[in-house]
Amino acid sequence: MASEVVKNGDDGMSKDERNVYDRQIRLWGYDGQNKLRATKVLLIGMQGLGAEIAKNLILSGVHSITLKDHTEVSILDRCSQFLIPRDSQERNRAKASLSAAQKLNPNVKVIVDTTPIEENVDNFVSSFDVVIATECSPNTYRRLSEHCRKANVKIFIADVYGLFGYFYQDVIFTHSLYGEVFSNNVQIDTVTQTKKMPQLYYLTSALLKFQSDSNRKPNPDTSEEDIEELKSIIHLQINYSSPEQENAEVDVFEEHYGELFCELSPTTSIIGAMVAQTALNTVMNKPIGNYNVFFYDHIEHEGKFHLL
Amino acid sequence: MAATIAGVFQPEVQNLIKESKVLLVGAGGIGCEVLKNLVLIGFSELDVIDMDTIEVSNLNRQFLFSKESVGKAKSHVAKNSVLKFNPNVNITSHLGDIMDTKYDMPFFNKFKLVINALDNKKARSHVNRMCLSCKIPLIESGTMGYNGQVEFIKKGVSMCYECNPRSEPKTYPMCTIRNTPKEAIHCIIWAKFLFNQLFGEIDEEVSMDERNDESEILSARNWAIQNDYNPKKLFKKIFYDDITYLLNMEHLYAGKNIKPVLLDESLLDQEHIRYSHVPDSEMLTLEQNISMFWDCITPIKEKWEKSTNKCLVWDKDDDLMMNFVVSCSNLRSAIFNIPFKTHFDIKSMAGNIIPAIATANAMIAGQIVIHALRILRGKFEKCQNVFLRSMPNHKGGVLVKDKCIQPPNPKCNVCSSDGEIILISDLNNFTLRQLEELVLKKKLNMVAPDVTMIDRVIISSDEDDELNMYDKTLAEVGMKHGSIFIAEDDIQNYKVRIMVHDKEKSGKEENVFEIINNTNDFHTANEHTNLPNPYENIENDEDDCVIEKAASPAGGTACDNNRDTRGEVNHVMVGKEDFVYIEVIEGVAEDIGIDEKTTEKISNEEVDAEEISNEEVDAEEISNEEVDAEEISKEEVDAEEIGNEEVDAEEIGNEEVDAEEISNEEVDAEEISNEEILAIKRKADEAVEDINDAKKSRID
Repeated sequence: MASEVVKNGDDGMSKDERNVYDRQIRLWGYDGQNKLRATKVLLIGMQGLGAEIAKNLILSGVHSITLKDHTEVSILDRCSQFLIPRDSQERNRAKASLSAAQKLNPNVKVIVDTTPIEENVDNFVSSFDVVIATECSPNTYRRLSEHCRKANVKIFIADVYGLFGYFYQDVIFTHSLYGEVFSNNVQIDTVTQTKKMPQLYYLTSALLKFQSDSNRKPNPDTSEEDIEELKSIIHLQINYSSPEQENAEVDVFEEHYGELFCELSPTTSIIGAMVAQTALNTVMNKPIGNYNVFFYDHIEHEGKFHLL
Repeated sequence: MAATIAGVFQPEVQNLIKESKVLLVGAGGIGCEVLKNLVLIGFSELDVIDMDTIEVSNLNRQFLFSKESVGKAKSHVAKNSVLKFNPNVNITSHLGDIMDTKYDMPFFNKFKLVINALDNKKARSHVNRMCLSCKIPLIESGTMGYNGQVEFIKKGVSMCYECNPRSEPKTYPMCTIRNTPKEAIHCIIWAKFLFNQLFGEIDEEVSMDERNDESEILSARNWAIQNDYNPKKLFKKIFYDDITYLLNMEHLYAGKNIKPVLLDESLLDQEHIRYSHVPDSEMLTLEQNISMFWDCITPIKEKWEKSTNKCLVWDKDDDLMMNFVVSCSNLRSAIFNIPFKTHFDIKSMAGNIIPAIATANAMIAGQIVIHALRILRGKFEKCQNVFLRSMPNHKGGVLVKDKCIQPPNPKCNVCSSDGEIILISDLNNFTLRQLEELVLKKKLNMVAPDVTMIDRVIISSDEDDELNMYDKTLAEVGMKHGSIFIAEDDIQNYKVRIMVHDKEKSGKEENVFEIINNTNDFHTANEHTNLPNPYENIENDEDDCVIEKAASPAGGTACDNNRDTRGEVNHVMVGKEDFVYIEVIEGVAEDIGIDEKTTEKISNEEVDAEEISNEEVDAEEISNEEVDAEEISKEEVDAEEIGNEEVDAEEIGNEEVDAEEISNEEVDAEEISNEEILAIKRKADEAVEDINDAKKSRID
């Protein structure tokens, strides 16, 4: 009988997929879903934030996602990396995540890549529609941003520090590159900046500077020294900026210092979802194009976009 | 388990996380994400409860479930999934209804914090009351499409879930459905009616058209049986003969621009046309819809014959039943010159489906846990309500919060002891059973009510009390106009004073009761439900949470389960005099467009205005009203009025004072008629609108 709902070739979506994606197709339509089904994503960094982003993108039904991470599972992953089973024998983060990631949605091709991004930044990115990078060094981010701009590949750069998190996006290729927003030398920028920067920009810059100097993120094992180090970096930045900001900023960040370690689940959940949704919207031709940086402030519990 | 790693948190926070026992109500979309976050951050004692089983359409977001787990209990599967990445957490999973009496005060008292990840108003109200009476902080949450919200509720500190009226469904008059449909939704509702007429629970009261002479006209069901459900005959009868009949009733369409047009007679015997609704976003032609109608009747009839009690419950996931509604609503649309809808769209509207995505749930779940950490540290003042927007506001904000904690509504009939409710009904025709089922359980969300009049118990939740009074009317147990009784729910520790107003019923589909209270706007209180509701069994499809289906008591309908960010499309029959209202909850999901903070402000003021109107209705405390009204208008001004606003607000305040003076006189006469209450209420509503308009224009 003709009323039987059968798979037909019009859009290639099986009845199975329709049923699984039903609740989101009702939000973004078959057109949107078909765009997602053609999207190839490179995801760099499979710690907690990477796991969140991977989960959201795989559930949404993108064509494929390449999980790229050359690092080993650490005990700190237990703070937020839910794709690695506790009894996993696999040492590499991406490999250890594969099975749980694939199980989220068998319709998506999940690929693991364990080579360091630094080895093949240049031509590698152009084979993807979207690149999302987490847990890289600030220098790698700058290079990635430049290469993606050249290759016209949309890029998102995101990190979570404890309960604080941010991301940068370059999706319409007209705003500043990552390295222009987060340069190695923030002091000079703040002097020349004519517009007032959001508070959290200074915190982020200080964290990036810390990473460049120490070659790691702040760590719970060395929390006290790391906080002192961060404070001095921020203090240096503020010396170069206007005097009335100084008092305000030191006070404001006081509350942040205690919760800057590891990637903590509430914020990986928020930033991971915000990055993923913004990326999905971009793919579906609804980019949030007026802005390039998003900060989540857990003290004020506010999430805001900025153009920096 | 961040809290087990030294240095991640300050030691005192670390201990709070490890030691606090948390109850998570709901293991759906938000629930899965919250459970993951709680386990990762290091909570070690968790209870999760959900009464639902996993469905395929959950899998795009409820990531703790997979295809293999479809059909299994959400709470158990969710627990097992999180144990894989953290086996060192003690999770108790309950497959059950949080409104079950076994989840009593002692159960709730075990927890430091309760998190609601529910999908319906009824269960949310219940947990709200349990937490208020145990003084346990509650985090309330919801998502709809790209939007979402997190609210903090604590007795005496913040607004409770019931301090403010929640958005209420849209209603459609029954005559529109029967005779003058203007939009596709009217035809869809009609098509579901028709399904029930033919295959569902027999509903004597609601006829499909305007015919009054019952003796001449067989019910649709009987007609169908006599004709052995012959598809072509049925088609001719419903879509041709009945329309001819309607057209003969001249008064129906006199002076109206809506008038049915008969289908071309040749269609009655057309060839079978091939059709396919894949993709289901494709529009079928009239001829295809007719063929689809013919094709679905016989198989549905066979199903119906095999069903228990010969009664089918319409189900959007049943392809045949869906085809029936698609074809019937489109055929009716053709007759009334309404554009067709696709299978996809009709399923959304008929099936109460609201869109849901993983990312919105994840963001809300993240914020819930941020709030949880604040609450455990006692920093309540930092737990303002947070809203997730679909697009950045003008300042780039996507997660935005209220400026400060919303204080409790002092007139709330749930969290304040000053609340009072007015029940308007015909005392000679309203039975205690109706009072219990319709008013106390359904409308006021009680679980096991007791009712006391002065010193006499008239309804008891204790089965050993054999009062045998359920069939007595309110008048028979001694209630008079102006009587006050106390309704109490021991499980919820909820007690409310109810004043009775007598109003004789009129009309054939009579009006059973009306409720006026502090938090509910009059219009939304129009629930008159002596009519059986053909949609009571509708599956509430939102699965980002739990509990709708079985949670509703026998008389419960899906009408209560909408929330700000939860736009279920529920059709609920509510009869009032000659109308039957069919409710459809507002909008499928898209962004509301205005800043949520703004909306919040407006709604805060609505509360103020509500207070005013309540005072007007309140028959006894009138002397000080003038001062109160002044105070309220000043508060509004204080809020952040500039310039002229002040004058406006003052004026509004004055108008209300006038209204009170009027009512004052009437109270002296000791007989407030209902019309007068309504008139005052209406006036108050206008004042509220004025305030809102003033606010909105300032915002613009």
